[in-house]
Amino acid sequence: MATEQMLPETLRTMIGLPDSVLGQAIAAFIAAFLVGNVMLAYTGVAGPWAKRKITAAFTDRIAVDRIGPFGLLIIVADAVRLLAKELIIPENADRPAYDLAPVVVAGSAMLGFAVIPMGGLGPLNIQLADPESGLVYVFAVASIATLGLTMAGYASSNKYSMLGALRAIAQNVAYEIPLVLTGASVVLFTQSLQMSEIVAVQQQTLVTVAGFSIPSWFAFVNPFAFALFMIANLAEVGRNPFDIPEAPTEIVAGYQTEYSSVYFVLIYLGEFLHIFLGGAIIATLFLGGAAGPGPESIGFLWFTAKIWGVFLFTQWARSAVPRVRIDQLIEIGWKGMLVLSFANLLLTALLVGVIA
Amino acid sequence: MSVEETEETPEIEAGVTVEDEVLETLGDTAQDTEEHLNADASVVVRPDQVQDTLFALRDEMGYDHLSCVTAQEYEDRYESIYHMKQYDDPTQEVSVVVPASKDEPISQSAEPVFRTADWHEREAYDLVGINYEDHPDPRRILLPETWQGHPLGHDYDQDSPQIVTLGEWDNPLRDDHVDNEADTMFLNIGPHHPATHGVLHVKTVLDGETVADVDPDIGYLHRCEEQMCQQGTYRHQIMPYPDRWDYVSAGILNEWAYARAAEDLADIEVPEYAQVIRTMSAELCRIAAHMLALGTFALDVFGDFTAIFQYSFRDREVIQNILEDLTGQRMMFNYFRLGGVAWDLPEPREEFFEKTRDFLEELPAKLEEYHDLITGNEIFQLRCVDTGILEPEVAKSYGATGPVARASGIDYDLRRDDPYGYYDELDWDVITEDGCDNFSRVLVRMQEVEESAKIIEQCIDLLEEWPEDDRTIQSNVPRTLKPEADTETYRAVEAAKGELGIYIRSDGTDKPGRFKIRSPCFSNLQTLGEMSEGEYIPDLIASLGSLDIVLGEVDR
Repeated sequence: MATEQMLPETLRTMIGLPDSVLGQAIAAFIAAFLVGNVMLAYTGVAGPWAKRKITAAFTDRIAVDRIGPFGLLIIVADAVRLLAKELIIPENADRPAYDLAPVVVAGSAMLGFAVIPMGGLGPLNIQLADPESGLVYVFAVASIATLGLTMAGYASSNKYSMLGALRAIAQNVAYEIPLVLTGASVVLFTQSLQMSEIVAVQQQTLVTVAGFSIPSWFAFVNPFAFALFMIANLAEVGRNPFDIPEAPTEIVAGYQTEYSSVYFVLIYLGEFLHIFLGGAIIATLFLGGAAGPGPESIGFLWFTAKIWGVFLFTQWARSAVPRVRIDQLIEIGWKGMLVLSFANLLLTALLVGVIA
Repeated sequence: MSVEETEETPEIEAGVTVEDEVLETLGDTAQDTEEHLNADASVVVRPDQVQDTLFALRDEMGYDHLSCVTAQEYEDRYESIYHMKQYDDPTQEVSVVVPASKDEPISQSAEPVFRTADWHEREAYDLVGINYEDHPDPRRILLPETWQGHPLGHDYDQDSPQIVTLGEWDNPLRDDHVDNEADTMFLNIGPHHPATHGVLHVKTVLDGETVADVDPDIGYLHRCEEQMCQQGTYRHQIMPYPDRWDYVSAGILNEWAYARAAEDLADIEVPEYAQVIRTMSAELCRIAAHMLALGTFALDVFGDFTAIFQYSFRDREVIQNILEDLTGQRMMFNYFRLGGVAWDLPEPREEFFEKTRDFLEELPAKLEEYHDLITGNEIFQLRCVDTGILEPEVAKSYGATGPVARASGIDYDLRRDDPYGYYDELDWDVITEDGCDNFSRVLVRMQEVEESAKIIEQCIDLLEEWPEDDRTIQSNVPRTLKPEADTETYRAVEAAKGELGIYIRSDGTDKPGRFKIRSPCFSNLQTLGEMSEGEYIPDLIASLGSLDIVLGEVDR
């Protein structure tokens, strides 16, 4: 699988662009445009519609059902509503940081999708690039979002925003380390940081039970690491029990308190993109990427199902679990998760060293 | 009921009445005595001896609950009345009447004796115009600082122009709030904030995430409720109004507070059958109110719209439907009448009983579900256990009542301790918890729902069996009530939030001369500082939620 052609290359040959730098650039741009729009489409469905429907299902309600089939056209209505609203910018806002922050938040998540192997769809293999340091890259760009949140919180010149930004930094620092360390324990198995390689290793059969072969997805190989990663990911994307940077009942809306209209849409978009990026990382590291029953040409559907599964999980947590306090969060992060993820890393290293 | 109420129950020990004992304890301090229908003794003391009197009554005779402070203006004097009770036995009541001169209405503050006097006296100053000497914080409380005149005073000019915008009298953004040298930050929580349950403004000083100082600023929802009542006739115009005080589904409990006071004042009997219906409907209201408290508290701790909020609202809806069948209204019930209730149970009665029984049958399973979701949740426990501590002694000093007091281990429930309605005929328990924290307050409310269900079940049994020819829902009450002039009473019931008391002084007309509402939320909210200073912001929010305040009742 690692040898498969990347999407830009496939597109270039399909369209018939020359194999020059310019041709590659144009093809890459088109490919990125396609992938980006698919992700934006997912976010568009998730934010105004799926989130409401899922939360409603958890809380015994019906939610949007007035416009279109299953209320789906609420997506259009919401888009019009949000974009038509007045853009209110606080008098003392620190510009251009205030204006850049939403772009940084949304953009950092989009960047991450560049190296995610999303599986096959018909003749296409949907992955934009497959650098050898893919995993490092994806963690790196995902953390840029923290910068965006800090900019948003600081530049808004609002005390609630400031508190939210400080909380966001504290939270992300406390949880990024366990996240990366747990990711590293997967690398010990794969011996590679390349995303396609990580997926490929997981295709081997782990055990065969009654004729069914269970693949060696790392969620099965090391469920402990999987659980750790899922929890740290909840903190990364700021969902209950770790929705502390926003904490609507405490600090109004945290760093995004002063954002309205288009800027609000961008920040909101960024948040949902981050949940999907988190899902994509989890799918790649622990759930065998795009693998699933059926031919490889529908792999992208499996990949979609997996990231939506993670999205569902975050919404479930949001509906059912209380929020922890900021000091408790830091304590869980530094005294619990960090220790556990180090233990996980060392144990995995020992096991891999002994077996291999 | 009224028999029990009007009956003066002084402890007669070898011919010594409570009044004698009080007079003996106070010695020369007592100037005179008055007669209040509720109190065993009403003593008049000089305005400079308030603290001595209250200290003596508290420490020597055990009157440890300053329930309410009523201020009023007469033709020739101002007057503050300190309504005192005992937490152990609230039927033991003493009124301390403190007259102040018309020209210079100065009276000693009771704040050093009871912390709760702080806000009560600020209100008395604000609305009536009595100045309290020694008061640590003599500001207005309900009205803006720039308000001209005292609205419940006699010479108040309703037409005088008022400047009321916040910016004119207190700009929260003014420079002295920004101290570059200090490590603290001033933060306005509210009046528009997701967690203030209405328009409450909490001026907070933060040290990082730690709360250094809390100053609740109330009055945004002040609706002149006392004055409204003073301009309404006893029988028809005041009766529908209490529904609007604590407007979140506790309407019938409020109606009862007024009904109890007015029935006591005018000596009105309530038929037994009506008492049972009153008891049943009041407890339905209590369940509805506690469900709301539970849901909104979960909202504060969990984040926005979560399963538990929606579940508790779903179940509250069932009660609203039952109450709608009974009263014809979902929120503003207007069901009580002086001397009974408006009408009998809805026909066919069997259907009503069945509906209510169905609800009661399903309730335990629902509560089980709540316990699974809330109290059994480890993160919830992490958040709520040992946060927002309110020690019993502090709670008493602030006059805390209701679930807030009972969660601090204070065994105080007017339904049992100062019986009214049909409560003393029924089998139920008062719930207390010793945790003194946010978690205990949630537990108390959840268990009280079970107790209320027990009461309702027994009432329904009684109502089902009740002989058809004995179903009197109202006693004979004169069309126009004119209680004898200068009759005074202060009566309280156990509302959803605590002790809801009404003081009425009649002036011989068909409208009260002075109508004072003792709101449980008002006193309970005062404890917020004690509970949250030194804790984190999330705990402040959780504590505020656990107090279960309704601003309509705080601000009145």
